[in-house]
Amino acid sequence: MKKREKTRIRLIVNGEPYEVEVEPHKTLLEVLRDDLNLTGTKGSCGVGECGTCTVLVDGKPMLSCLTLAITVRDRNITTIEGLAKDSKLHILQKIFLEKGAVQCGFCTPSMLLTAKALLDENPNPTRQEVIDYLSGVLCRCTGYVKIVDAVLAAAEEIRRRGSEYAEE
Amino acid sequence: MVRTLEPFEYYEPTSIKEASDLLQSFGEKARIIAGGVDLLARMRRREITPDALVSIKFIPGLDFVEEADGQLRIGALASIRSVELSKVVQEAYPLLYEAVHSIHSIQVKNTGTLIGNLCIATPASDIAAALIALDAKVKIAGPSGERTVPLEEFYLGVRKTVLQPGEFVTEVMVPRPSSEAKGAFLKLVRNATDIAKVNVAVLLTVKNGVCEDARVVLGSVAPVIFRAKKAEEALKGKSLDEKVAVEAAAAAAEEAKPITDIRSTAEYRREMSRVLTLRAIRRIMEG
Amino acid sequence: MQRSEELRWVGKYIPPLKMEGIPKVTGAAKYTIDVKLPGMLIGKVLRSPYPHAKIKRIDTSKAEKLPGVKAVITFKDIPKVKYTSSFRDLPMATSRRLQPPDQYVLTDKARYVGDPVAAVSAVDAETAEEALKLIEVEYEPLPAVFTIDDALKPDAPQIHDHAKGNIAAQVKYPFAAGDVEKAFQEADVVVEDTFMTLRQVGAHLEPQCVTALVEPTGKVKIWSPNQLPFPCRREIAKIFGLPESMVEIITPFVGGSFGTRLSMYNEPIAVALAMKTPGRPVKIEYTKEEDFSNLETRTASRITVKMGFKKDGTLIAMQMKVLTWAGAYAARAYLAGPIALMWGMGHYRCPNRDGECTVVYTNTTPAGAMRGYGNVAASCAVEQVMDEAAEKLGIDPVELRLKNLKRPGDDSNLGPCPIESTYEDECIKIGAERIGWWEKRKLKKAEGPRRRGLGMAAMMHCSGAWPLLIEHSNAIIKFNEDGTVNLIINPAFPGTHIWTTLAQIAAEELGIKPEDVRIVTGSTDVAMFDLGSHASRSTYVTGNAVLEAAREAKWQLLERAAKMLGVTPEELDVKDSRVFLKADPSKGLTVEEVARNTIWNLEGEAQNISGKASWSSKYCSPPTAAYFVEVEVDTETGEVKVLKVVVVVDCGRVINPNAVEGQIHGGIAQGIGYALCEDFVINQKTGAVESNNYNLYRIPTTVDMPKDIEVIFINKPDPKGPFGAKGVGEPALVGIPAAIANAIYDAVGIRIKDFPITPEKILKALKEKQSA
Repeated sequence: MKKREKTRIRLIVNGEPYEVEVEPHKTLLEVLRDDLNLTGTKGSCGVGECGTCTVLVDGKPMLSCLTLAITVRDRNITTIEGLAKDSKLHILQKIFLEKGAVQCGFCTPSMLLTAKALLDENPNPTRQEVIDYLSGVLCRCTGYVKIVDAVLAAAEEIRRRGSEYAEE
Repeated sequence: MVRTLEPFEYYEPTSIKEASDLLQSFGEKARIIAGGVDLLARMRRREITPDALVSIKFIPGLDFVEEADGQLRIGALASIRSVELSKVVQEAYPLLYEAVHSIHSIQVKNTGTLIGNLCIATPASDIAAALIALDAKVKIAGPSGERTVPLEEFYLGVRKTVLQPGEFVTEVMVPRPSSEAKGAFLKLVRNATDIAKVNVAVLLTVKNGVCEDARVVLGSVAPVIFRAKKAEEALKGKSLDEKVAVEAAAAAAEEAKPITDIRSTAEYRREMSRVLTLRAIRRIMEG
Repeated sequence: MQRSEELRWVGKYIPPLKMEGIPKVTGAAKYTIDVKLPGMLIGKVLRSPYPHAKIKRIDTSKAEKLPGVKAVITFKDIPKVKYTSSFRDLPMATSRRLQPPDQYVLTDKARYVGDPVAAVSAVDAETAEEALKLIEVEYEPLPAVFTIDDALKPDAPQIHDHAKGNIAAQVKYPFAAGDVEKAFQEADVVVEDTFMTLRQVGAHLEPQCVTALVEPTGKVKIWSPNQLPFPCRREIAKIFGLPESMVEIITPFVGGSFGTRLSMYNEPIAVALAMKTPGRPVKIEYTKEEDFSNLETRTASRITVKMGFKKDGTLIAMQMKVLTWAGAYAARAYLAGPIALMWGMGHYRCPNRDGECTVVYTNTTPAGAMRGYGNVAASCAVEQVMDEAAEKLGIDPVELRLKNLKRPGDDSNLGPCPIESTYEDECIKIGAERIGWWEKRKLKKAEGPRRRGLGMAAMMHCSGAWPLLIEHSNAIIKFNEDGTVNLIINPAFPGTHIWTTLAQIAAEELGIKPEDVRIVTGSTDVAMFDLGSHASRSTYVTGNAVLEAAREAKWQLLERAAKMLGVTPEELDVKDSRVFLKADPSKGLTVEEVARNTIWNLEGEAQNISGKASWSSKYCSPPTAAYFVEVEVDTETGEVKVLKVVVVVDCGRVINPNAVEGQIHGGIAQGIGYALCEDFVINQKTGAVESNNYNLYRIPTTVDMPKDIEVIFINKPDPKGPFGAKGVGEPALVGIPAAIANAIYDAVGIRIKDFPITPEKILKALKEKQSA
């Protein structure tokens, strides 16, 4: 078996710095889930097709299962655990629940983070823009209709409130 | 769950020369990694098990999308998304934009690099088809220095390029199309985010209704993306009309060498080469 | 039966309970892949690379010596107890027909590419994989057969010793009636056609992941996504020679099931490994490639349907012949194949019926159940033959359905049990109107390359599979001092909002808020028996158990409140968490006050108010639905775009409209995938599954969904459902593929007899039609 060596790196996840020892072949997905115990990020296909492993790196949706952890050291990584602020749900999270956009919930972290990235880029997307932006995340339960509805409704509420967070 | 990769040695060169030397010293046993989308997926499936990965992610000066001296330059670390978002690409290289935009997943476009996509060397690459129609060239760095190769000549077969041990692509250059050049990119897929069954990139330079120059590029219907030269001849110097378009499309289909695989049949692909070429030319005619 | 206006919670759009919703949107929800326990080992399975082979020799010595490897097992280490992944002898079946068990935990003969041959547990995944590489297996490849036709050839290799000619089962339609041959002779129009249905893959996003632990007492704990935890427990107990109570199935959150997880997969292997390392849990996580290659697909069959009509459209004769494509083990195909006879011939009124099904073994991935459980297959055949008959009869397809529908009191599709309610006629009429059926079908067809068409299908399913299978659920409700209740149940947890639905039922009856119903679930030790999640049964069967338990708890609550208030229980009612005097509502107590006072009662009359119920179905309340689809076919490329979908559902009173709409949307997506782009592809040379991940097996994305989707509920209560509810999880999808196929025929006059209906097939058929 090939020799295995670890390197100490710093990962900044949800604003917090973590010092971890990683082997180069470990993906960001594995380090998040296994070393940092942040199991909110899920994995599925492993080949770039399903989008289940989406995290934000410097605000951009990327595939954590196809990213070597060592290559994103010192970058700002946002996982689903970092979406709510203290115990205030992000409006996307609140509206996803209200609109019935969550069934089994497995794609939900990726859908939420991707939607957040969309709204950061484009606070007033059209329905087609939402559909296109979310097309890289697969869902087998919902048929996507309520997910798209929820993103549009959340966008409207965020604009109306002038804030991304729901009051508790 | 997502299968863990097999362990490998890992190198982070900080210069092009260092990267090239490392790659040459390992030969077949090492792979270059930029975005890693295709590479890590293949490693995950155990299609390849390199002893070492050479990451170029930390080499400065490779992440750019810019226009200079009438040509578009895209660096090895430019993500596909950064090309899509580039104003100069949207305004002056619409054929490239169409191809990039036809890739749906934001995640893939952020994680993967444009040049990485080119270097997969699959005949189904939408981006490669558009770039060949645009007469793009790639700059290759290697142990004996730099060389430039037209993208059209870069591919030798499925997953085979002209790259020698120690060589890698640092940049792709695209001459700015003239204002009379109009393009269309079309593809057929099983469903929205799939790899193309057939894709077609057509660029026609039209002055006063006459086609002065033509590029008809077919993807997914041969081991490499190719220019359907007979189709191009059928268009050059002719007044563009439906009859000419139909002839050119038929010529393009004849040059195709499609196969049957999980995505489609050879018969269908050949017929669709004709239909897509025809529709692309019609779209250009409509303006 | 209460009227909708009288109901406080049932029928309302309610988001998922916080205890379910918040973990899911914050990443706190723990799924089977997230199970992490101290000392946990990683297990991996060595699989046969051959579709059919003798195993001559296995040498595990090198693997055992690898540092970090804790156990290596092969056939010699597993119990020599045959079982079936679909739970052996179907104690659930009222027919008492036994399904012959035909598989071992690890096999002694490889029967499909992927058949588990050995397994290891190790300290990490890298070591486990390395260990697999060190296991030496000597195979003697045998000839293999992948298709029904090849498996039935007289010289075909025998896959199982007990199944001569590779026939796993031969079943006659149990509800045959009348004289079919005579009736066909008397019929004015007879139509017959044959269709090959699809081996659709469940393709749920969460990979199949099981963790097993053997405790010092010998008790086996299994964290599994299985949809039927109690039957699963029973099966594991049988395999390993344990009493049921020494096996506990724990169900975490599960990332989708769709019927695939009705069967067991890595559970027995994980247990066998865990038994080698008592005290150390073993987690076997399948990769997505393993999922696609080893989990039971939907069962596909070649179905021939023959129907005979009088010229006024009355259906008088029906015959179905089903050839079921099972895999290497009978698994759930054993039932999912033949049950198509019941769905197919039990849908419409027809006095003369017969049919038979032959289930055929092949050297491929086992086939089993997926949402619809044979009704999708039956519908694909029958609903297309109905359209063909309509054309021959010169009767509109909508009218032909309306003429032959069953009515309340008629026998159900699953046996002689009267239908409690059906509004299928309304579903069809409303759907036709909403899609513009009458106007659009009158229009002359367009001239250009893009042609539009309308198609429909209708269906009747079940709310639980009585009288075919036992339908038994239990519920316990206990009050907490704070006036909330714990509802202790165990439907498995695929993500269908069942917790919220059951909480609404409980809250409605108890007069409290759904958010005050805390669901306690996920363990076969804690909950009383529940068959599990299948046959669209949870709302109806578990819901009825919950309703009865709530009635009992409510009665206790009112009794105790009456004592406290010095009145009789009959004078009281409860609403919005307050018990009040009906005659003078200002007089009362909060539910909390009553609950607290009874638990901490200092008068020597302490009690924990509770209710419990066993509910066993003796009824048939089948949900019905009509599906209307508008498509556009590009005749130059053969591509099909679904423009508009209207689904009208009769699932009794809808308890949670948001949840049910979501189910229907998901069903539409799966139906579109089935009809147009999902394809389970087996390499005809190697027998390996080629479509072994999402890049190759295409499920719909956001961009593939039609822009115009309308879901309508009839919302009329069923006499036996809890608050009138019927099941709906499967009906969501059943008729979509047939409706799309019928719409394509309307658009371009082409009927493709298998699935998926790809552009390649359409274009080929169009060209053949042109040259003819």
